[in-house]
Amino acid sequence: MANQATGVIHDLGYRGYDGPRLGRTQIIRALTWHSFRSAFGIGRGVKGKIIPVLAFIAMCLPGFVNAFAVARGNARLFGYDVYVPNLRVALVTIFIAAQAPELVSRDLRSRVLPLYFCRPLRRGDYPLAKYLALTAALLILIEIPLLILYVGTIASAKGGRAVWDETRALIPGLGVGLMWAVLMAAIGLVLASLTGRRAYSTGIVAISCVLTFFLSLLLIQAEGGQGATSTGARVAGLFSPFTLLDGVRVWLGGNPQVGLVADPGRYGPLYGVVAVVLLAACLGGLAARYRKVSQS
Amino acid sequence: MPSTQAQAVIDTRALTKVYPGNVTALDGLTVEVAPGVTGLIGANGAGKSTLIKILLGLIPPTKGQAKVLGHDCETSGEKIRILLGYMPEHDCLPPDVTATELVTHLGRMSGLPATVAKERAAESLRHVGLHEERYRLIGTYSTGMKQRVKLAQALVGAPQLLLLDEPTNGLDPAGRTAMLELIARIGAEFGISIVVASHLLGEIERICDHLVAIDSGRLLRADSITSFTQASQVLAVEVEEGPAQLQAELAARGLAATLQASTAQGGTAQARTLLVPLGGDDTYDVVRDCVAALALPLCRLEQRRHQVEELFRDEEVVRHG
Repeated sequence: MANQATGVIHDLGYRGYDGPRLGRTQIIRALTWHSFRSAFGIGRGVKGKIIPVLAFIAMCLPGFVNAFAVARGNARLFGYDVYVPNLRVALVTIFIAAQAPELVSRDLRSRVLPLYFCRPLRRGDYPLAKYLALTAALLILIEIPLLILYVGTIASAKGGRAVWDETRALIPGLGVGLMWAVLMAAIGLVLASLTGRRAYSTGIVAISCVLTFFLSLLLIQAEGGQGATSTGARVAGLFSPFTLLDGVRVWLGGNPQVGLVADPGRYGPLYGVVAVVLLAACLGGLAARYRKVSQS
Repeated sequence: MPSTQAQAVIDTRALTKVYPGNVTALDGLTVEVAPGVTGLIGANGAGKSTLIKILLGLIPPTKGQAKVLGHDCETSGEKIRILLGYMPEHDCLPPDVTATELVTHLGRMSGLPATVAKERAAESLRHVGLHEERYRLIGTYSTGMKQRVKLAQALVGAPQLLLLDEPTNGLDPAGRTAMLELIARIGAEFGISIVVASHLLGEIERICDHLVAIDSGRLLRADSITSFTQASQVLAVEVEEGPAQLQAELAARGLAATLQASTAQGGTAQARTLLVPLGGDDTYDVVRDCVAALALPLCRLEQRRHQVEELFRDEEVVRHG
């Protein structure tokens, strides 16, 4: 007994565990949180943080510029619903091209998935958690700059009325940001999950986003630009996710003078339908992809 | 059968799996696996991996039923996967995280609360013999260390049953021995039942209580390992001449030796080898005394323990012959 009291380290032997276990929902939440952190490179090395953090800072810059401008007496520089359209397209593309593979390709590449599927999760839970994580990460990327824009503007606003007007303008802007996050996360993940080779999946995501975007822009230009009212101009925005989202924004009452597309006019509902179908197709594709992976 | 004494950890009834394209992986497999360490033996393509996937509830059987720890695999997959730790055959570790991070994360995925996952990850890694190395990136590990991490992640969720698929894959002889000792220790001291799938019989028989052999998706044989190794413990005594005299002398001293049937072609060669059931060390003394008393030229005295391979081969011969 005296020996044991002197602080010798004993092999405690194996101990089981009879305590409480997390349910499936809590496990999904844990995986979502883990993936959300890795979407910003947290828990990764410095290298993993560079792109997401730089993209986030770049996205926030216009918000800070606006704060200075407004403080000097100018009107608010950017709309909440479109922000800085081309910058947003570029940074969202960069973010998902870099981070969607981080979330899914790594696990495919290292063949770690059987270690998930042999645990209580169901086969749809893994892609669900990844989707929720990337959506949340995109919300941070898109919405925080809007909040900076908002705070910078109301800081110099005079009177409650002005603050109320700003708040009313902000809310649809947040809604548009949510649409972007929900759709772009699905597109990014389904494309990234096609291959475990990270460079390839980054390439697939980036090229798909950039090419379709320029295709739509060219079509819009060819049809007479953003102000055109021809059928061709009205539907030209359907061919890329970014212009599609902008078309939905205009259809839902957004200002057609700013943004990326020509006014869709009576084709507005078509934009809504295509967006929903595209989202469903991406999520369905993602689920199918992991059903296949879980059985192999 | 010893399996009737306790609840079977695995129980399959006429389990059949036919993949699309009419590929039959399992063909009416009925087997009961008792608690303890069990070897699942089969050549590549015998149906081991398919069986494991069905047991994990990842794929449904075409026909038949499988139960793990009393739960049906088709309907209670989630419940089973809480109670089960699985070590896959192939490489499955991301190189760019530390063992601690990975095993902690997988502990959470097994449903452990955050702090418990951390503790158990550290403990599991210690149990498999990874100490300070566990803070290093897995990419820097040797194959042996990686296998240990794979075992640790199977242990972290405090399973009641471990499914280990070819745990000695890719290891050198020393690494194999160490891994087998580790598995035997987990089975004996941790109170966890283990099923070890392997195509290397000689290795597996060293650590298993039971063996289940499958071939082409069918059960070849399932038995406790002692039941056939005990029977096979014999001492072979080869003498230049006078085997009959020796046999009589041995019989006089209470040992029922049998003359080994001549295996030489044509039967012309004399049978010179006596097989003596090996009781203990005194058997050697009795044999020595007999040979000395008769002054026979002894040329060989060896303990024969049939390798499990042979026993299964015998079984095959009986079945087909």
